[in-house]
Amino acid sequence: MTRTSGANGGGQQGSGKLPRKRFYRARAHSNPLSDSHFPIPIAPDDVDLSQHYPRYFPADKGEHGDGDGDAEAPRIRFADVGCGFGGLLVGLSPLFPDKLMIGMELRDKVTEYVKERVLALRASNPGQYDNISVVRTNSMKYIPNYFGKAQLSKMFFLFPDPHFKEKNHRRRVISMHLLDEYAYVMEVGGIIYTITDVEELGIWMRTCLEKHPLFQAVPEEEIKVDPVVKLLSSATEEGQKVARNGGQTFQAIFRRISLQEE
Amino acid sequence: PRSPLLAAMEDAAVEEAEVSGAGEFAPALVAAHPLGNSVAVAVGPELRVFDLKGGCAVSLSDDSGGCSHSDAIRAISFSADGALFASAGDDKLVKIWKTDSWRCIQTITSEKRVSAVAISKDGLYVTFADKFGVIWLVTVGEHGGGQVSSDNKPVSLYGHYCSIITSMKFSPDGRFIATADRDFKIRVTSFPKNPIKGAPEIQSFCLGHTEFVSSIAFTSHSGGSSFLLSGGGDSSVRLWDYITGCLLDTYEVKDKGGRTAK
Repeated sequence: MTRTSGANGGGQQGSGKLPRKRFYRARAHSNPLSDSHFPIPIAPDDVDLSQHYPRYFPADKGEHGDGDGDAEAPRIRFADVGCGFGGLLVGLSPLFPDKLMIGMELRDKVTEYVKERVLALRASNPGQYDNISVVRTNSMKYIPNYFGKAQLSKMFFLFPDPHFKEKNHRRRVISMHLLDEYAYVMEVGGIIYTITDVEELGIWMRTCLEKHPLFQAVPEEEIKVDPVVKLLSSATEEGQKVARNGGQTFQAIFRRISLQEE
Repeated sequence: PRSPLLAAMEDAAVEEAEVSGAGEFAPALVAAHPLGNSVAVAVGPELRVFDLKGGCAVSLSDDSGGCSHSDAIRAISFSADGALFASAGDDKLVKIWKTDSWRCIQTITSEKRVSAVAISKDGLYVTFADKFGVIWLVTVGEHGGGQVSSDNKPVSLYGHYCSIITSMKFSPDGRFIATADRDFKIRVTSFPKNPIKGAPEIQSFCLGHTEFVSSIAFTSHSGGSSFLLSGGGDSSVRLWDYITGCLLDTYEVKDKGGRTAK
């Protein structure tokens, strides 16, 4: 299989052949503080949905976002923050075929892999996987550029970097300050799913969510019947690795609520 | 005879010219008392105040013993009623002054250098932004004396992740605080009755600038409507409905007044 580079993957996608991970090797860590050069939408209306979900936004429909008759245009509803190789998106896609979902990933090569994977899945499964896509971005800085107020009904944070050193705790993707932004892009009633195999990080994420006034723990009986929850530990490479090694995982699943009057 | 104020501003221009090319130099700052009582000019570490009513320069007294600021002042602001004045900058100090006597009544230590400062509409709180993009809040002490507050430690309100805050203003009705940053963003946050607990509710993001935002201002509240104005490195001035984040109009300054209707 030919190694593709950059954005040129589109040319050979009729084949439906899945990309091979070893051609997309990347370091596990990427520096979220560095200003890498990837395009950022100025505002959510500038996100080109026709590029991500062509079946939902045929290109011949005229200028994107011109408003005429676009009142019913679907919007992205699920975001997988730090989507890695795309396992969760692939698992979610058939469960919610009518919902548009996007993965956000900082690493260039890994993003390319997911793009190729989605295109290959669409080619070999016609009519499926049209509702998932990926974008290379720094979600700690640019979430409000992609999503408008109360747009998302689900957000996922699977096996984030633990950033063990105390001086790096502010680089953690779940923090009190960043929860303000995640609460902003989530609708009231929307659900945030977090999971890690690092106990200290699990405690950290749960504590942040408990302390934040715009989130409330989802009760156990609801978690039990949510079809998404199983995927948190089984759908991704990290989750499968942890399961193989018999490791423990720590989940924190919370609902976005409106501010309670004191 | 040259007015002291003109002298101050000419000195500032000369100092800038002398050190141009010597690295980043703090621009001189000017702020006018809301009732026209006085004008304050910050030149490097020096704070110079001119009493417009009395027609003379004011000498500042600082009860904390030291001279005004020991490094470049980066932000100054009068309170809405003019009773208070705040200055802050590279010496990591935030100083609060009473403008009747021009005594420094309070000095707060920030962990990092400060890039913006504002006083809440009711005069109870001072907010300041550090170089990590975190907005902090302190309660204005009633007693004079200018001691460094230890029991009144700054509390973290919210943050623009890893961004420099360039401008920070309270809305005329005091319900919102708006902050602009170098990453083209303006965030409008609900300022709670009890801000000691934080400000987690984002009202809107005003997104549209294609370069750093350098300055924001609220229009006055007469007739019930209030808007937000912003200017930035993209040579545009923009008008916003800050409740919704909607861009109402853009004025392209670089084309000698080209207008982009919205």
